[in-house]
Amino acid sequence: MNFKTQREKFRSKSISAKEAVQETIKRAKTDKLNIFINCFESEALSKAEHIDNNFAKFKDQPLSGVPIAHKDIFCTKDLITTCGSRMLKDFKPPYDSTVIDNCNNAGSIMIAKTNMDEFAMGSSNETSFFGPVSNPWSENLVPGGSSGGSAACVAADITCISTGTDTGGSIRQPAALCGITGMKPTYGLVSRWGMIAFCSSMDQAGPFSKDAFGCAALLDAMASYDLKDSTCSKRKKICYEKSLNDNLGNLKIGVIKNIEDLGIHKNILNSYETSKTVLQGLGHELKEIDFSELSSGICSYYVIAPAECSSNLSRFDGVKFGHRSAKQKDISELYMQTRSEGFGDEVKKRILIGTHVLSAGFYDAYYLKAQKVRRNIKNKFEEIFKDVDLIFMPTTLDQAFEKNRESSDPNRMYKEDLLTIPANLAGLPAISFPNGLKNNLPTGGQLVGNYFSESLLLNITNKIQEVTDWHKMTP
Amino acid sequence: MDKIELKNLLFLAKIGIADKEHPKIIEKLTNTFDLIDEMNELDLDKVQPLNNPLELNNVSRKDSDNDRNAKKDFLENSPESDEDYFIVPKIIE
Repeated sequence: MNFKTQREKFRSKSISAKEAVQETIKRAKTDKLNIFINCFESEALSKAEHIDNNFAKFKDQPLSGVPIAHKDIFCTKDLITTCGSRMLKDFKPPYDSTVIDNCNNAGSIMIAKTNMDEFAMGSSNETSFFGPVSNPWSENLVPGGSSGGSAACVAADITCISTGTDTGGSIRQPAALCGITGMKPTYGLVSRWGMIAFCSSMDQAGPFSKDAFGCAALLDAMASYDLKDSTCSKRKKICYEKSLNDNLGNLKIGVIKNIEDLGIHKNILNSYETSKTVLQGLGHELKEIDFSELSSGICSYYVIAPAECSSNLSRFDGVKFGHRSAKQKDISELYMQTRSEGFGDEVKKRILIGTHVLSAGFYDAYYLKAQKVRRNIKNKFEEIFKDVDLIFMPTTLDQAFEKNRESSDPNRMYKEDLLTIPANLAGLPAISFPNGLKNNLPTGGQLVGNYFSESLLLNITNKIQEVTDWHKMTP
Repeated sequence: MDKIELKNLLFLAKIGIADKEHPKIIEKLTNTFDLIDEMNELDLDKVQPLNNPLELNNVSRKDSDNDRNAKKDFLENSPESDEDYFIVPKIIE
């Protein structure tokens, strides 16, 4: 069931919130893909009863009566929040993150927290302490990451909306690999308060749904100015759902020149060409843009993200919260043992890279240089947006891949983020939507917009979905 | 990267990895730095570094207390605490 139908059923009283939750939990219990880390049945049922008893108050809220699953990176008061790590296996936050708070107030009911790469570090959901998630289209394949559980949850039709976070593509890449719609908003649109930090200058929360309509409604709930996040935008709130009806006129859309040189699989390129035709059919003009700087984004990202990660994750020391090792003679050993036992291999590797690039003597060679590349990427986008309204490119280089590929070639996995990372470095909004099925697996197309152009991105994706049925295809 | 550099890095990051795993981790780190080093081919002399995409001004608020006494909540989350304190192994010999 898509989001619009689910919400309409509640609003028209053809189903109660409690019944919606019961049905959703029934589906969640049959999950064989390892989508969830923890389910919260009794809490969900009592929240649903509260919504049913206050129908008038919740009826017109953007997510009224709709069950939702949240990525296990958002703190939930008194409910375990693991971030996919042994370090936080039993952690019960004393507060709700702003995203959780906003979604609760918007009338949604959380039924579960979804599996994810440990501390959001990974592109395949295989680094989770709680085991890998399988792709709903084929169990041997990965769902993408780091928000793989959330994407699989919607693709497998368990919930019609879920939340994710995107630091280098962690919403858009799993959306593409699972055949759903997912959006990374402009940095600062959604509060990061209570969202466990990986790379603070790039982390951004966003919505998953089958279609742009569901993403618009969920973003309406998620986005708010928040005093508790000093990087949160003060812009006036707009209603994304309403703006889906705006007339777009004829837009100028940038497409990447010589895209075939980027090492993208032919299936992805085929879908890309088809969706370009759809955009033209909707009356938009395509203009080739040169984006040869794209590839330098990867180098910059793999310096900045680990640097910020090594700093953010220094808080996990076994003293104030989270895992504490039983083997400890002195304070130094307490830190060392706790972190060695609590973190998985990928997290340790990124902490080591981050520590190295920030250490004395290496700062200029790595961190400063990476920040300069970041400036170059931002400048390049500014230049491009003088000429075009949006940029269109594939989301990924390839479709969903088999599990255990990372161990053979980690750099190949890092390079997979080639097309998603630039938007994170520049802080721009981007949306991934399903744009075809090849070998019975979905492909994804990505639109990148200028700062705070979420309504434009959601609107054009909605217009594409009005004339195509890629988003209706199910595993 | 050699074994001595790795040991220093592990010490700084407060992470322990068994000695027999060191060659494997050195290989992994070297691979990643090969990827990062592609940055050296760019001419960046005249480019200013960028810290944060929106280049926002810092937000400040009045430093005042509020009615939420969260001390109990936070101490309860600690692996080991005693009334008002977090407990750690003895630091001074």
